[in-house]
Amino acid sequence: MTLSRNTPLAWKNLTHDRRRLAVAIAGIGFAVLLMFTQVGFQNALFDSQVKMIDDLQGEIFVVSRAKYTLAAEKRFPRARLHQVRSCSGVAGAYPLYSELTTSVLRKIKAGLGNRGYPLRSLGYHLGDPIFRDPRVAQQSQRLRAPGTALVDVKSKLKKFDFARQPPHELAHQALELAGKKISLVGNFELGTDFAHDGNLIMSDESFARYFPHRNRFADPLAVVDVGVVHVQPGFSVQQVQQRLVQTLEQDVHVYTRQEFRRAEVQFWDKSTPIGTIFLAGKLIGFVVGMVICYQVIYADIADHMPEFATLKAMGYSTGYFIRLIVVEALLLSLIGFLPGTVVSRVLYALLAEKTGLQMLMNLDSLTFVLLATMAMCIASGLLAVRKLLSADPASLF
Amino acid sequence: MDSQTTVPATSGAFSAGMRLPQTVRVSGLDHFFGEGELRKQALYNNNLDVRRGEIVIMTGPSGSGKTTLLTLIGTLRTVTAGSLQVLGHELCGAERDMIVCLRRELGFIFQAHNLFESLTAFQNVNMAAELAGLDRRVAAARIEALLTRLGLGQRIHYKPQSLSGGQKQRVAIARGLVHKPKLILADEPTAALDEQSGREVVTLFQELAREEGCTIIMVTHDNRILDVADRIVNMVDGHIKSDVAVRETSVICEFLKGFPLFADLTPNTLAEVADQMMVHEAEAGQELIRQGDPGDLFYLIRDGSVDVLVADGATSKKVAELGQGQYFGEAALITDEPRNATIRAREKSVFYALGKEDFRRVLETSATFEEELRQALFRRQ
Ligand SMILES: Nc1ncnc2c1ncn2[C@@H]1O[C@H](COP(=O)(O)OP(=O)(O)OP(=O)(O)O)[C@@H](O)[C@H]1O
Ligand SMILES: [Mg+2]
Repeated sequence: MTLSRNTPLAWKNLTHDRRRLAVAIAGIGFAVLLMFTQVGFQNALFDSQVKMIDDLQGEIFVVSRAKYTLAAEKRFPRARLHQVRSCSGVAGAYPLYSELTTSVLRKIKAGLGNRGYPLRSLGYHLGDPIFRDPRVAQQSQRLRAPGTALVDVKSKLKKFDFARQPPHELAHQALELAGKKISLVGNFELGTDFAHDGNLIMSDESFARYFPHRNRFADPLAVVDVGVVHVQPGFSVQQVQQRLVQTLEQDVHVYTRQEFRRAEVQFWDKSTPIGTIFLAGKLIGFVVGMVICYQVIYADIADHMPEFATLKAMGYSTGYFIRLIVVEALLLSLIGFLPGTVVSRVLYALLAEKTGLQMLMNLDSLTFVLLATMAMCIASGLLAVRKLLSADPASLF
Repeated sequence: MDSQTTVPATSGAFSAGMRLPQTVRVSGLDHFFGEGELRKQALYNNNLDVRRGEIVIMTGPSGSGKTTLLTLIGTLRTVTAGSLQVLGHELCGAERDMIVCLRRELGFIFQAHNLFESLTAFQNVNMAAELAGLDRRVAAARIEALLTRLGLGQRIHYKPQSLSGGQKQRVAIARGLVHKPKLILADEPTAALDEQSGREVVTLFQELAREEGCTIIMVTHDNRILDVADRIVNMVDGHIKSDVAVRETSVICEFLKGFPLFADLTPNTLAEVADQMMVHEAEAGQELIRQGDPGDLFYLIRDGSVDVLVADGATSKKVAELGQGQYFGEAALITDEPRNATIRAREKSVFYALGKEDFRRVLETSATFEEELRQALFRRQ
């Protein structure tokens, strides 16, 4: 028979009452599920905020220093891109134009125009390697005709119900963009986010026609929204970025893909209520878990008061009891975390299928929820330990 | 001349013939429950000395304060008035850390077993062994031996759920003893046990007391086990009403019975005589009785030995040597004549002495006084 140095009292007490253990696992698992759902939705929403960035080619991005989010219409002079091209290690720098507030798309019905809805219009020089979606390149020939555009099939159905029609039907749709007729000649896929209900892609020439005033009556294409930079193979992205930062004036940010993404997520997380809403959701999960965990530990202590009082009489110290309960809390958090995570994965899969959101359980979210679960259990353990410390050995005789 | 003390012979302070270290010293101990208006006194000015290796049984009516005194000795309640020393530590105003350390030297046996349902008998006992920092192999061997001894050899790895009430109590007893405590405090330890296992438990107590010098204080109403007591303390209404070293008293009675004049006294009378005796101590060479002095005391030799010297003119002659259990000094008390011999201690010795008045009172109750007297005087020629 093997005898461990110390009797694993925390584990034994926890696993002795199977019914209580089941309740504990279910309760803590539920809290874990709540937190995972919040984290999952938050990540999915942030992912959709940066879907645009994920769908761009290139390794480095240049934007105006004033552009605090993709939807902010702050631009930088196109001349910067010439400077970029002259840097060593740069394979190419391409302008992407974007317009939102004046870009109102409206259906025309029997002479009566109904109310239109704004969506994001993206303009690019045909042939530039900007979009990852291969459909854009395949259909670029059709965009040569002035007054044509591709529409995002994932545009909001309520506002742009025609977006999902096949190209030949799309062509018959009578539409007006910024007060001028436009014909949709094909589609692509990008998706919506908090700021954008739909997307159009057109040639820079068409773009200049629809939004002639975007540069205060100067050349509308002389100001760029996002500069897409390709780095030559064999060059380090970091080094090229460094060089660009040194070369370019202070009016632009030079981001790597990671940084660009992070800056955008940061904005939605910190500068909008979204972060707070999800934080509240996570807190609710945390508190629910804490209450359940407290109940379980408290009940365990309350049921064993005479036994703990006996240990006290035997000379076990306060430190021992605190350690005992912390270990019990940690064990609880782990045995609740595992099933909670498994169920969350299943739920993620179901939600991804139903909502189209990208529900991913990455290392970050796993670590976050695990740490939160452990903190929640230890906190409730420390609250409950006061009950244990009140055990009075004098009451035993 | 001789060092007379005010210590009664039946206090047991000299039971093995020498002063044993005190495990528990209670002096002037009061205890109160409650606060303000509800303040109620449960113990009144109690004094008690318990020495190493003694088995003390506390008895008394319900509510007399036995448990209160036991929990105070066991450091489970705070001492607020009076003095209480346990294993050399003063508990009145003691530090918490000291108390936690002191508790590890004690063994508690409660009326309720208080075993963890989630642990096996072995593991429950091991909780106490671990705290003592025993080597785990040593601990395992000792736990198994102890449980086997208590009749649980077949159930060492059973959980309390599958043990009977008496078996659970025996596991709890093993838990209280496994770390070889210096002081065992038990409240009705045998209440849940049948006669045979109750006997096994008290026999175990006796062994621990004898072999390990373990002191045992036990509250019990179980008359069947009173015979193991070295001392019986009787409490009434928060006072220690009597505190008798029963073991020592019976030793004294045994000795007294060897004195022909007392041979037909009833055990009760003998115990009363024992109660009236006081302890005397003498260094080697010290004279207890000088020939020619008036007689005042009757002596019983508890420990040591003496020479009997009779002066004949200028020279004195040793006529006898007396040892443990023998007596001297009776002739002068009976005949009212001066001492007919000198008694000198051969070594450091302890005596129990009875005053002249008490001695004569006892003799008057003895029916065969005259006859015994004659025989006795004849034999001492
Ligand atoms: N926790 C307490 N609070 C208030 N009073 C108490 C408390 N414990 C005991 N007492 C009182 O102190 C007195 C002594 O009680 P104690 O339990 O020491 O008696 P006991 O001799 O052990 O009795 P029993 O033989 O019934 O166990 C009683 O009058 C009791 O009512
Ligand atoms: Mg009691």
